[in-house]
Amino acid sequence: MLTVGAAAGPRAKLQLNGVSRHFGAVQALAKVDLGIAEGEFVTLIGPSGCGKSTLFNIVAGLLEADKGGEVLLDGAAASLLGKVAFMPQRDLLLPWRNVLDNAILAAEIEGQPKRAARETARSMAADFGLKGFEGHYPQQLSGGMRQRVALMRTFMFDRDVMLLDEPFGALDALTRAMMQRWLLDIWSRYRRTILFITHDIDEAIFLGDRVVVMSARPGSIKLERRIELPRPRDPALLTTPEFNAIKRELLDAVEEESLKTFAAGAV
Amino acid sequence: MALLRLVLPLLLLAALWEGAVALLHISPFYLPPLRQVLGAIHALWPAYAQAFMVTLGEAVVGFVAGALVGVASAAAFHHARWLRDMLFPLFIASQTVPVIAFGAIVVLWFGNTLMAKAAIAFYLTFFPVTVNALAGMEAVDPRQVALLRSFGASRRDIWWKLLLPSALPRIFTALRLSAGLALAGAIVGEWFGASIGVGAMLLAALFNEQVVAMWAAILAAAAVGGTIFGVVALVEARLVFWRDEL
Ligand SMILES: Nc1ncnc2c1ncn2[C@@H]1O[C@H](COP(=O)(O)OP(=O)(O)O)[C@@H](O)[C@H]1O
Ligand SMILES: [Mg+2]
Repeated sequence: MLTVGAAAGPRAKLQLNGVSRHFGAVQALAKVDLGIAEGEFVTLIGPSGCGKSTLFNIVAGLLEADKGGEVLLDGAAASLLGKVAFMPQRDLLLPWRNVLDNAILAAEIEGQPKRAARETARSMAADFGLKGFEGHYPQQLSGGMRQRVALMRTFMFDRDVMLLDEPFGALDALTRAMMQRWLLDIWSRYRRTILFITHDIDEAIFLGDRVVVMSARPGSIKLERRIELPRPRDPALLTTPEFNAIKRELLDAVEEESLKTFAAGAV
Repeated sequence: MALLRLVLPLLLLAALWEGAVALLHISPFYLPPLRQVLGAIHALWPAYAQAFMVTLGEAVVGFVAGALVGVASAAAFHHARWLRDMLFPLFIASQTVPVIAFGAIVVLWFGNTLMAKAAIAFYLTFFPVTVNALAGMEAVDPRQVALLRSFGASRRDIWWKLLLPSALPRIFTALRLSAGLALAGAIVGEWFGASIGVGAMLLAALFNEQVVAMWAAILAAAAVGGTIFGVVALVEARLVFWRDEL
């Protein structure tokens, strides 16, 4: 049931082999092995400071991995900048752009004509719960809406692989639950390969086809757990015995790592 | 409504001027009645209109050049650390020379041309713009830059879509400050022998002890400064409408 560092079959969409990274004397990541299949939704969980964002920055091509490791996209080790759709921990919307123009930022940088990109964005706005707000500016939106604009921007950057770094971390519990269901709905329609960071176990299980637990720093893959709960998933799932059994299993691993971090004085 | 907000304080100031002169029996040597000053402008309207246009032209040419060079230098300094380390101290040193000392040389170089005055206006404008634009670009969140890079953005994209807009609020702070400086530069330039312009008028009135003409020249100078400032404020309101939210 529990496996460590398993590849996702022979044709992984994204494959990390022995990826490490250090900053000066700090070892942030130590030999991460992870494979993700096409169309899979993988959630990544681990104590804060264990290197999750660092891992994402490497996959997005923003940081170099230390020598010896490799990141393969569709089996090839080319430069990753511009190849995956990356959504950082904060929404980072531009205050001088309205909802539509924030959503088309990536498309615009790719060289799509603005007008066409805006049309596409307009047609997607309803899916992202932003109908009627196309002309609003970020500072006029709620936290949940800002996050949806950032997600729309990520979806509009039409890449097979999406990296979402704690997209709902700053939202209140109710908004977050709503956004989770909404994301699953969107995902089932747009079908992308998703790697999703969270520090919330419920969220990790509820969303994922597979939950990956990272160890305390230096981060590596501590264990992986396939989640065979049926889809579409709804909130009632959160109180089923199956769900709780999985949660029990994962909690032990996560808490062990969190304690290590705590003992190291990093929290 | 906006017009009213502009006109009302002006009317108030005018009333205060007239009222004070009449009620406090101020000698016209210190402050002539506003009516008299406006009358003098009216009597010589073509001359004042010409002086206004000439000084406005000198100040605006220097101001626009200073703004463009300021933003361009800031961009260069932001991208190339070594360039900044090499040239920025020179920029600062240049500003320790008082513009008055510099004025004579500039007139020597350019003669009594528009360029001479514009050069001094430029000299006073480019530095605050450089400093503020650079501060604005340095203040950009590196995560924001990283996000754009992850979309495959080139340096050029990052500059146009992120660095420049982010720096705009600070650039406009500098421009509002520089509007007055550019005017002062143009006036100082005129003092080194120009015959037309608000500064030249001011100096002529001073030599001839024509108090009314001096005040008339001061009003004309205020009109030049107000025009530049007003245009800057209008452009700012259009471009940096999101300023308050930061
Ligand atoms: N650019 C950097 N320079 C130095 N240290 C860094 C840098 N980025 C991350 N770190 C360090 O690497 C570790 C992992 O950070 P991060 O990947 O942000 O963790 P997480 O996202 O899991 O909370 C932390 O100890 C952090 O201080
Ligand atoms: Mg993080």
